[in-house]
Amino acid sequence: MRRVPDRLRRSDLTRTVDERGEVVAVDELDGGLVELSARLPLLAERTLPGQFAQLRCGPGPVPLLRRPFSVAWVAGDVCAFVFERVGEGTRRLAALHRGDPLDSLGPLGTGFTLPPAAGRVLIVAGGLGCAPFPLAACWARRSGREVTVLSGAATAARLYPPERYRRGDGGISVIEATDDGSRGHRGLVTDLVEAHLDASVVALWACGPNPMLATLAGAIGRADAALLPSVAEASLEAPMGCGFGTCLGCALPVDDGDGRRWALCCTEGPVMPITAVDWERLRELPPAHVA
Amino acid sequence: MSRELTLDPRVDLGRGLLLPNPVGVASGTFGYGFEFEHLVDIQRLGAIYTKGTTPLPRAGNAPPRVAETAAGMLNSIGLHNPGVEHVATAYAPRFAGWRVPVVVNVAAATVEEYVDCLRRLEIDGVAGIELNISCPNIANGLDFGRDAAAAGRLVQACRAATSRCLIVKLSPNVTDIGAVARAVEAAGADAVSAVNTYIGMKVNLGSGRPVLPGRGTGGLSGPAIKPLALAAVAAVRAAVSLPVVGVGGIAEPADALEFFVAGADAVQVGTANFTEPGAAIRVLDGVVAYAEAHRLGRLTELRAVPAPQPA
Repeated sequence: MRRVPDRLRRSDLTRTVDERGEVVAVDELDGGLVELSARLPLLAERTLPGQFAQLRCGPGPVPLLRRPFSVAWVAGDVCAFVFERVGEGTRRLAALHRGDPLDSLGPLGTGFTLPPAAGRVLIVAGGLGCAPFPLAACWARRSGREVTVLSGAATAARLYPPERYRRGDGGISVIEATDDGSRGHRGLVTDLVEAHLDASVVALWACGPNPMLATLAGAIGRADAALLPSVAEASLEAPMGCGFGTCLGCALPVDDGDGRRWALCCTEGPVMPITAVDWERLRELPPAHVA
Repeated sequence: MSRELTLDPRVDLGRGLLLPNPVGVASGTFGYGFEFEHLVDIQRLGAIYTKGTTPLPRAGNAPPRVAETAAGMLNSIGLHNPGVEHVATAYAPRFAGWRVPVVVNVAAATVEEYVDCLRRLEIDGVAGIELNISCPNIANGLDFGRDAAAAGRLVQACRAATSRCLIVKLSPNVTDIGAVARAVEAAGADAVSAVNTYIGMKVNLGSGRPVLPGRGTGGLSGPAIKPLALAAVAAVRAAVSLPVVGVGGIAEPADALEFFVAGADAVQVGTANFTEPGAAIRVLDGVVAYAEAHRLGRLTELRAVPAPQPA
């Protein structure tokens, strides 16, 4: 029997602010990952784990649109974002230097949900899907939960470093998988889910490429209902114009009880209940890279 | 030391629609205003032109719906909107409490549907109607906008259906935009807005296909189209004596000023709202500052393209 889908939520735009910050550091990680941190006091104060900011990639009309990035971590009044150079926008952001201005519109979108029950949070991150989880894992730990991160990537070099998930918290356990077996389990990160999904898990949070998330949704659909956490959420991506529900560009297929429809990734996501997403239709869409 | 203001910023679009200032926000780039309420002081705007509103709710097109291009973006949203009934019952009462005039953009497939929508919008909170005869992203969306005679017949029927200021949004995807403008002027339009998006395509060489689905085309907007839009506004200005609302690629105060030179009476800021929610307010402040610095009484003093004399 199909599980009754959870309802989508809507983002709270009353907390959103257009803020000019200042770049603190641009860290080159292995495998082409870039971690950009910037002093953005209002975003740092207001963002919830899983929410994102629209960053301006330069002063001119090329590239025209801002780029959406999950807030990866917050330290004091500094926020960080993790990405790779996929197009002109991300190349420009990666070329910023300490002290450069950075325009952020955020926080935007929905965040992850932490249910009141005590227990463990299981995080499934594939590739750049690592982006929201240092902050989310830290939040879960501060709220007294155990955290297990299943972290997958194509190769060892492209894995987000486990110590960056932990940010000094030994209570965050990171288990890795690589496609080529260069570190951890050889195979997909979703292969690891079954072994770690037990009755102690109160929330499952996932982010990664659509095929990975669809596989995860399939596994949840087949799992013993008694083992399923009350919260199972995925952070999704879509080509985005504005980030605050106006251009209506970032449509994603959902079915959350009102029938099949298009929901906006920016205001009804990016974090959506896994059961509310129409994975079959999503699989047919081209991948949405933030360029 | 205070200084007397020289500029009268108000713009009369006809039939009682007096805009408090010439800088509004374009249809499809500002929703129904609510998304921006917490980000900017929307009450300072000259007008809000709403998302294209259809007789029934529309779910919109399959994604991807937007694609970035050089200094522009393509969209193929497909008039995703809650329908005229929802706008009339849930939104218009809120508009009625606003200082900013709200002009409802209406799109439909037949003359009868347009007329029904306009009758439903004869209510408080609706300051005017912008007739969308130029949506490139739905089947037959351009049928009225491409044919001067068909546009004239539609506007004539709509004129009889609404007591409100009727602004017709022209398509640039035509051979002679002036001919369509003349037809809608003769049919009783109060004003025209120029222009809607240009049909465009982006190709992904990796997949060997257009980025947007379906026909692969979308509507191009943003700074890339400003020179095209200026030329279209000048052509419309030379063709009709109606007020012209200029729109297309305005992101800076200087862009808006260029539209007044080309013959516009008012302007709309569009795609810039997506990247800078306060863009229209910044454009307004810059335009006013320029006018004051140059001791202009009205922005139309900048005009370099004369309108035809009424017969």
